[in-house]
Amino acid sequence: MSRLRKTELAKVGFGLIVAMIVTALGCAILALPGEESGLAGAVMLNLDQAGAKNPVTAVLLNFRGYDTLLEIAVLLLAVLGARALAVDESADDSEHFRSSINPVLIGFIRVIAPVMIIVAGYLLWVGGHAPGGAFQAGAVLASLGVLLVLADINWTQHLSDYSERILLTISLVVFLSVGLATMFNARNFLEFSPSTAKWCILLIEAVATVSIAVILLALFCCGKISNARKYHETTRGRVE
Amino acid sequence: MSFELTILGLILVPLAAGIAAFIVTRFAAILAVATALLQSLFAFRLAGYVLSNGPLRYKIGGWGAPLGIDLYVDGLSALMVIMTALVGLAVATYSTSYFAIPEHGREHRSNVDIFWPLFLILWSALNALFLSADIFNLYVTLELLTLSAIALIGLAGTVKSLQAALRYLLIAMSASLFYLLGVALLYSVYGTVDWELLGAQMQFDLPDRCAIVLICVGLLLKTALFPLHFWLPAAHANAPAPASALLSGLVLKASFYVLLRMWFDVFPYADLRAVGNLLGILGAAAIVWGSVQAIRQQHLKLLVAYSTVAQIGYLFLVFSLASEPSASWNAWNGAAYFSVSHAFAKAAAFMAAGSLVFATGSAKIDDLAGIAQQQPVTVFAFALAGVGLMGLPPSGAFLSKWLLLNASLSSGKWFFTAVILLGSLLAAIYVFRVVAKSFEAGERQPTRHVPALMQWTPLVLALLSIGLGIVATRPLELLKIGAPVAIEKTP
Repeated sequence: MSRLRKTELAKVGFGLIVAMIVTALGCAILALPGEESGLAGAVMLNLDQAGAKNPVTAVLLNFRGYDTLLEIAVLLLAVLGARALAVDESADDSEHFRSSINPVLIGFIRVIAPVMIIVAGYLLWVGGHAPGGAFQAGAVLASLGVLLVLADINWTQHLSDYSERILLTISLVVFLSVGLATMFNARNFLEFSPSTAKWCILLIEAVATVSIAVILLALFCCGKISNARKYHETTRGRVE
Repeated sequence: MSFELTILGLILVPLAAGIAAFIVTRFAAILAVATALLQSLFAFRLAGYVLSNGPLRYKIGGWGAPLGIDLYVDGLSALMVIMTALVGLAVATYSTSYFAIPEHGREHRSNVDIFWPLFLILWSALNALFLSADIFNLYVTLELLTLSAIALIGLAGTVKSLQAALRYLLIAMSASLFYLLGVALLYSVYGTVDWELLGAQMQFDLPDRCAIVLICVGLLLKTALFPLHFWLPAAHANAPAPASALLSGLVLKASFYVLLRMWFDVFPYADLRAVGNLLGILGAAAIVWGSVQAIRQQHLKLLVAYSTVAQIGYLFLVFSLASEPSASWNAWNGAAYFSVSHAFAKAAAFMAAGSLVFATGSAKIDDLAGIAQQQPVTVFAFALAGVGLMGLPPSGAFLSKWLLLNASLSSGKWFFTAVILLGSLLAAIYVFRVVAKSFEAGERQPTRHVPALMQWTPLVLALLSIGLGIVATRPLELLKIGAPVAIEKTP
């Protein structure tokens, strides 16, 4: 009884602390300067130099491209982390989930897959002047990959571990190379000239779309796309 | 080679090498050692540029702050980069042997190939952090650090290491979010994330106070200051030995560096006297609590990990001591130099501990009885690293503690004087516990042969940590460049 009361008290105390923090933060946000501050003006002023009409893309790929370079490294690290922490690949399985694959799913994928690829391409291209870009396009492609895994469509059978690692890292390699290439023109690292900026950004985004899609899909498969295959093989063996 | 290539090379070369080591696993170890040698060269070159030119900036993308991201280097960051380079070189050398042992390597887990890319990307993240002038970019580098640290902890593959890694993930991610929220608040008030521009405008209004608290809490969690250290012992003790050396020696210093930078360059620290005193008292509590816990441990690596909890405490004394102008230079200098000498000593201690654990096949201190006869080099390395942790002269830790003691005396904060002395005494007790055990007379079963690199690397690193006290003039000269506090003559 007394222990029960103690946990109740702890809950109430914890709630009070959270309420206090939220109140303090709320007051702080109300005290923020109301009119527009920040760098929006500076971004708009330099937008015609940046090679992208969409200010978000200009910030991500040009003004603060270095951050994005490191963010892509963060994504790669997530895959490395998943590989480091993943338990042995064939350790557990949930047969009831995969024992039979729904024919409706396969039919659905036949219809949706081409559309998703086109949508990804569109998102990639539209990022230059409207909301969109590599992360969105990559997410669409990755979800297509997830659908294929769920339907046990074995599209990765010719993908070796080596080529998978290349796909995972290709965007970092290209991003770094483009950044270094800009330096040959007596410019700084990742300093695009206004005339070529658009093509540099498009190249980086196109390759990043592929890497991001592969990375997200790899995260779904415990760090390795080929895991999905093994997974199916073990499950099918058991079902038979 | 120009300054531009040096500062970029420090960040981009390990990143590129990490990618290469991930793709072509066969040459990963050679690649890592070559990168480590190159990094040491770069690091000293960078310090040379800072010594001759003063603080330097590099505009990535050519935009310049506040629109773009700048790299910045002054004495403090150059010294941190050198620290990373030397400890990194030692860890790389040690790891080539460590992971060649089947028990740590392939036999144990098929994916130990991941160590090298993780190690190199971690290195790149550390340098990127020490060289960044942008507090949002600092957030990104902290994320890189955290993610690679989690994976490094989990590499050991034991249930305990996986638990520790997961707990660290949850803690470190929420800490990152605290930090990020603070950055967002500061950006919405001042419209810039460059810390120099921020520091020039920073007020002490409600949003600023909230931002300061959020940023401090986030960084304290990551630096594991008592009582937020609860995740540290399990994480650092269960990781593979080279990873423990990296985590205790370098990764904690990164978040401490950010806090030190923020406190003295961005925050109006004259107004933060009360918070500074609180941090100092928590630091003092960490020294006592961590040392007492270290004395009580039965496992060698846990002892070393609790020693880290204690030693982190010394770093935080600066926030209280530096609020007195007469003491600020000694305190700041002492804290900066302490983090370097601790990095060397602690990395050496963890690597020596890893070798001893491998030799005996047991993690327990009691099983070390009489090992000094069979593993003289490793035991000597551990003892020397212990000297570096206790702060006996002429070690670098002695000099740093001397500076901190001076600061505590000149600011009249006697309490901290007592704690610093007590901490050294307690450190002596936990180090001697291990050393005395290893000299115990009596029969013992023969130990396994430890590869030469795993014996000598910790010894060299421990000697370096002691040598830091002898060659201190140059590093202290370097620290003066761009120092945020008024410089006085050093004793």
